[in-house]
Amino acid sequence: MNKIVIGMNLKYRIPALLSLAAGFIAMFISVVTVGDKSFNALTMATMTMAGSKFTYSYAMIVALYVIALVLGLILFFMPGKLVGKCLAVVSAAKCVSVTLVMFMTKAVVDSNAAFGGKFMVKDFSLGYWLMLVLSLYELINVLKINKINTGYILLTVMSIVWLFPILWIVLTSIRKEQGYYVGYFFPKGYTIENFTNLFKNNSVIPFGKWWINTFIVASVSCVLVTLIILMTSFALSRVRFEGRSLFMKIILVIGMFPGFMSMIAVYNILKGIGLAQTLVALVVVNAAGAAMGYYICKGFFDTIPKSLDEAAIIDGATRWQIFTRVTIPLSKPIIIYTILTSFLGPWTDYIFPSMVLGDKQSMYTVAIGLKWLTDFQRIDTYYCQFAAGSLMVSVPIVILFIALQRFYVEGLSGAVKG
Amino acid sequence: MIRIFKNGDIFTKLSFLICGLSNMVRGQIVKGLSFLAIEIAYFYYMFTTGIEDLSKIGTLGTTQQGMVFDEKQGIMVMTQGDNSMLILLFGVITVVLTFTFFAFWAVSIYSGEQARLAKVHGKKAPGFIDDVKSLFNDNIYKLFLAVPVFGILTFTVMPLIYMILMAFTNYDVNHQPPGNLFTWVGMDNFKALISSTNVLSDTFWPILGWTLCWGFIATFSCYFGGIFLAMVINSKGIAFKKVWRTIFVMTMAIPSFISLLVVKTMLGKNGIINVLLKNWGFITESVPFLTGPLSAKITVIVVNMWIGIPVTMLMVSGILMNIPGELYESAKIDGANPVKTFTKITFPYMLHVTTPYLITNLIGNFNNFGVIYFLTGGEPLTLDYYKGAGKTDLLVTWLYKLTNDSKDYNLAATIGIVIFIISATFSLITYSRSKAVKDEEGFM
Repeated sequence: MNKIVIGMNLKYRIPALLSLAAGFIAMFISVVTVGDKSFNALTMATMTMAGSKFTYSYAMIVALYVIALVLGLILFFMPGKLVGKCLAVVSAAKCVSVTLVMFMTKAVVDSNAAFGGKFMVKDFSLGYWLMLVLSLYELINVLKINKINTGYILLTVMSIVWLFPILWIVLTSIRKEQGYYVGYFFPKGYTIENFTNLFKNNSVIPFGKWWINTFIVASVSCVLVTLIILMTSFALSRVRFEGRSLFMKIILVIGMFPGFMSMIAVYNILKGIGLAQTLVALVVVNAAGAAMGYYICKGFFDTIPKSLDEAAIIDGATRWQIFTRVTIPLSKPIIIYTILTSFLGPWTDYIFPSMVLGDKQSMYTVAIGLKWLTDFQRIDTYYCQFAAGSLMVSVPIVILFIALQRFYVEGLSGAVKG
Repeated sequence: MIRIFKNGDIFTKLSFLICGLSNMVRGQIVKGLSFLAIEIAYFYYMFTTGIEDLSKIGTLGTTQQGMVFDEKQGIMVMTQGDNSMLILLFGVITVVLTFTFFAFWAVSIYSGEQARLAKVHGKKAPGFIDDVKSLFNDNIYKLFLAVPVFGILTFTVMPLIYMILMAFTNYDVNHQPPGNLFTWVGMDNFKALISSTNVLSDTFWPILGWTLCWGFIATFSCYFGGIFLAMVINSKGIAFKKVWRTIFVMTMAIPSFISLLVVKTMLGKNGIINVLLKNWGFITESVPFLTGPLSAKITVIVVNMWIGIPVTMLMVSGILMNIPGELYESAKIDGANPVKTFTKITFPYMLHVTTPYLITNLIGNFNNFGVIYFLTGGEPLTLDYYKGAGKTDLLVTWLYKLTNDSKDYNLAATIGIVIFIISATFSLITYSRSKAVKDEEGFM
């Protein structure tokens, strides 16, 4: 039995086969106990085939077990790559089916009078849990035989967890049945009206206006903030002047106060100069505080060799020319990073706009607007439109972000290097 | 300064009183005039409103102003009373303006002296055109920092001073101008928070405890989760690394307020998660994800992991790839198992590089307004706490509630200062740590 196949790790054959066999036996012991009656996987299979909505759920598991056992025996006596791969596929399918059956059994039992009772998950008995654990253990070992990274199992599970809310919001946005409370995951009817309703002129929700408001604030802030950050970072990184370190220390200390502690005072000042409840106020405040976030950009500028500046000075360049002709062209990643973050900032900002704009709905940004929609009085009526609105905001940003991901990472890791 | 006064000629001495005189005499007419204009503007402001504002700030401190209703006796005429809030605000503005003016004053004197010295050495003092030109060369920092400094002074420093002062007043819901006046109360707000006998301190200490707890758990769960995820994706034999990474980055790219609102609606009593769990027979009653005192805390931590792990993963994957591969190979030859490799190579390396990030993250989590506000809003509320505060409230969200809902500005300001102290402590640790890191020769 000490055969060796290149590209396979046959020592995991034994645990794989043992768990497969144990799982096979577990099929025959009680899987579900409803009331005082218990059923094993084979009886479940025959009963579900007799007229349930989930006709083949248990039958499939039984079939997969049989196929897996056959493949396992072949692998044991005549190891080969093809058999190994086939076993891996069957094993994975079996693992998924056994897991999914956990969610289907209630429907199966409740819809078939022969079971005689309502099902709760605690009704699963030893056989089912053995099947679940053993098939997972078997899958791990089968993957190891084939030298496939078992990280795939983990990544798949995590991806499902991470994508679940996203899938839900996408489905909700195209759901025909309105309302917050629905008893099922997949919609019964599909429509795009949730999107078109958002932009209708007579809509209660001026979502189009909100979107444009936010876009304007974000673009103007983005330009101003980027310029200010670049200039501040350049001055602090490339020029040595009196009071430089004092300036940096003061900003560091100010930055430790929670930002919206002074919000009420800012609001009073804005009111004093007549900017309360306007979008200009948001831009002004964004730009005014921009210099506080100079760290990452300065860190990047610090890594550009000083000798370049010196060479330029010898050639008669002024500092302004160094800024525009040397530093800026060399700083593409950090400029894109700054543009990205300063554009995304206003999209996600909620607290300050909500304070400045108060109850002036037509001036709302998307963040305040969408929060307003999830209010308990409105959530039932507008939940699907809220979902559609969320997608309208997220999708452009997600695309932008994924496209520029590289620069984001470069900017961040630059900051870590100091 | 004194040296300049001693050495200077009569014009220099006079320019201590009349800003820009020294510049004008040496031929820098525009510069001199603008200094003079600033001086005149400042004194005009001071004599028209500034001095009055300042004097009222003082009287705000005496008891005689407090609680006096502004009704003239005799015939019943309501006169407009003092507005303590505006007095304080304008007082702060005046003080900031005064400091700014003194800075200008000092600059004008130095500038005059420089012009004089240029004359003495027989050079021509730089004219207006030269000054403008130098703004694009040696003095570019003045050009570049003018707007940021102005912005920070107006919209950050001034409001901050105003709010810090507020921590020493009794500007709460019972002392709202213009109807009522508030006054200085010294350290009373701090005492009320810290002492052990009233409802405020019964609120403050548990919230502080939960804030610290939350900060550490949230930071480290995301940190280790992110490292773990990045290691799995980067490990040998995983195909389509980019696809996997993009799946997780997608959740991170969605604006956090949206994902939080969505998750909140999913976790509600009739939300889809409870509905599905019921349909599958896992539960019979809805799980109080966001409304139970303990379960809400667990939920916010788990949801925070959902948001935070991809962020760490993205940041960390670059660093992971930088770890020299030979280290792992030699470890393998020496017979180290994966756990040992992680604790002896990967983790020390990561910690070495990411300590500053970790501590900024920690401070960020102490002040993580969004997760709490959008998910639970601080709920579940409890009667043990000061009005409006709930079991999952952090110091920042409580601060927000105090300013926005109950208008207890003095308490809000006091808590702001407490948060500052916490952040400053942790920042100081980073600062000294990162210096130590710099002094080292680097990892290995």
